Amino acid sequence: MDIFLQQLVNGLTIGSMFALIALGYTMVYGVMKLINFAHGDLVAGSAFVGLFVFSQLLGGEVSLLVVLGVFLLTIIAIALLGFTVERLAYRPLRSAPRLSAVVSALGASMVIQNGIMLLWGPQMRIFPELLPSIIWDIGGVVISLIQVMIMVLSLVLMAGLYFFVEKTKIGTAIRASAIDQDAARLMGINVNNIIVTIFIIGSSLGAVGGIFIGLYYRGITFNMGWQYGLYAFVAAIMGGIGNIPGAMLGGILLGLFNAFISGYISSTWSDAFTFILLIVILIVRPTGILGERVAEKV
Amino acid sequence: MIKKLQQLGYPLFFVVMIMLPAMLDSRWLAVATTFVIFTIVALSQDIILGKAGMFNMGQALFFGLGAYTTAVLNSVFGWPLLATLPLAIIIPALFGIILAGPIIHLRGDYLLVVTIGFNIVFVQAVQNNLFGITGGPNGIFGLEMLEVPGLASFQEFTPYYAALGALLVTFFVLHNLETSKIGRALHYLREDNLAAGSIGINTRIYKIFAFSLGAGIAGMAGTFYANQYSAVSPEAFDFLQSVLFFSIVIVGGSSVPGILLGVFVMFVLPEIFRELATWRYFIFGFAMIFTMILRPRGIWPAKFGRIPKAFTDKGR
Repeated sequence: MDIFLQQLVNGLTIGSMFALIALGYTMVYGVMKLINFAHGDLVAGSAFVGLFVFSQLLGGEVSLLVVLGVFLLTIIAIALLGFTVERLAYRPLRSAPRLSAVVSALGASMVIQNGIMLLWGPQMRIFPELLPSIIWDIGGVVISLIQVMIMVLSLVLMAGLYFFVEKTKIGTAIRASAIDQDAARLMGINVNNIIVTIFIIGSSLGAVGGIFIGLYYRGITFNMGWQYGLYAFVAAIMGGIGNIPGAMLGGILLGLFNAFISGYISSTWSDAFTFILLIVILIVRPTGILGERVAEKV
Repeated sequence: MIKKLQQLGYPLFFVVMIMLPAMLDSRWLAVATTFVIFTIVALSQDIILGKAGMFNMGQALFFGLGAYTTAVLNSVFGWPLLATLPLAIIIPALFGIILAGPIIHLRGDYLLVVTIGFNIVFVQAVQNNLFGITGGPNGIFGLEMLEVPGLASFQEFTPYYAALGALLVTFFVLHNLETSKIGRALHYLREDNLAAGSIGINTRIYKIFAFSLGAGIAGMAGTFYANQYSAVSPEAFDFLQSVLFFSIVIVGGSSVPGILLGVFVMFVLPEIFRELATWRYFIFGFAMIFTMILRPRGIWPAKFGRIPKAFTDKGR
């Protein structure tokens, strides 16, 4: 029972990080029908930018203000980077065949990944301890302050995003563009601006996810974006890509699944089990758990 | 004119390729051999991705399955290398059928992720030494190599010419595919799946066939890859390798010259610029983006059949 509760806590922590990153994939896919392969590398970049901001710009002393500063500056930097990627690599390909945009995304991913390596080197770097390492032991279940913060902050961000998309005018425009870009344009929505908005929101959430990865796992490498990006993307697909609550559900589900696999079976097979789960879900529900059940447009 | 150029092109290409080793040192001979093998895999990927229009990003799985079939049969059961070739084609082809069957109806991008998934499951299974015969993370080495009897001094060139022979076979298969009923069916179902179905093409069967043919050819390439290095290891077949094959087909364009160009650009160029070391993939990423912006259909896009000009976009 202890293992179960412990892995439940760990799974929820990892799951909320996956969910945050998955939102970036799912929002971009929803409107552009494009797998943004560069997103995972933005997340990796965020961990490195966070490290840089903390140790070089803000002096390396932990205080509440500094931690806030690290989050804020990193989010701004990564959002700008996401904006640039959209402008350079995706916008010129808006009317090109879909696969060309996929390869352009792969190229962008390569540029960012190797850019990180050129800036910070190929070796593993250690992310600073921004939070005091407080650990609670509740009846045999260990939970740290970092875990609590990751879960609470992710929940707040996701709830915020949900209300933004469901209740505000821009959110309505995002949903309209996701359903039919041409019709949205006829209704006076500037779809290009919506896409920029989505990239900024998605990259910002990814940036928070990247800092969380740094805080939780500590060791960060230039090529970790592939790994986390792929997992987050799988989470988005499981939930039904393009569907915002779906990405949250998929992320949490995948995190829990992963934690239980490593807790009960073995972590050397966790990738394989993850993808087997994905394949099974897609065989049963071809558009994901919460995805709408429509045929591909002809 | 173009027809004549094509008739001349293939023999010319093979003449150049046959002469090539005389001009290369051993490092570049290895690059040339891998170039030929990767071309075969890229052509097999093109059957699935370009010809049948299925977003497959797991081609390294079939390539690896062929290589591992050869390696296991050779190292564990002591089969001679050439004798493993039929199984190295049949096993990946069967896997192509088994794996494609349940996922063939998935929408494009879902298919892409599931095939990445198959690839990752394969690599992890191999790394964890499945059935105790795949050698774990180090792979299998010390395989027997192809030998030409009586030509011991020729040994250095054997992997290259063996691979070139396989490429010739692949060209032959592709040429027949393109001019056959199956090739036409694949073309229609790529252009419009629904319309193809409604004029009586069994799209499901043809898609699975394309998958299995592509898998079989990739498996064949695997045998020659195992022969080249007399070893196989898991990381040679991980999904980043699949990403490479995927990009080759899209960057080059889904035609034979396009794919040759694609393999050259995506594999040989990075080898040439090896001195740039850490910078090369950074620049390379930009090159991929700009190629796609400038030539969204690939460097050398495919043309199909004898469609009168008036019916194509250009005629308008």
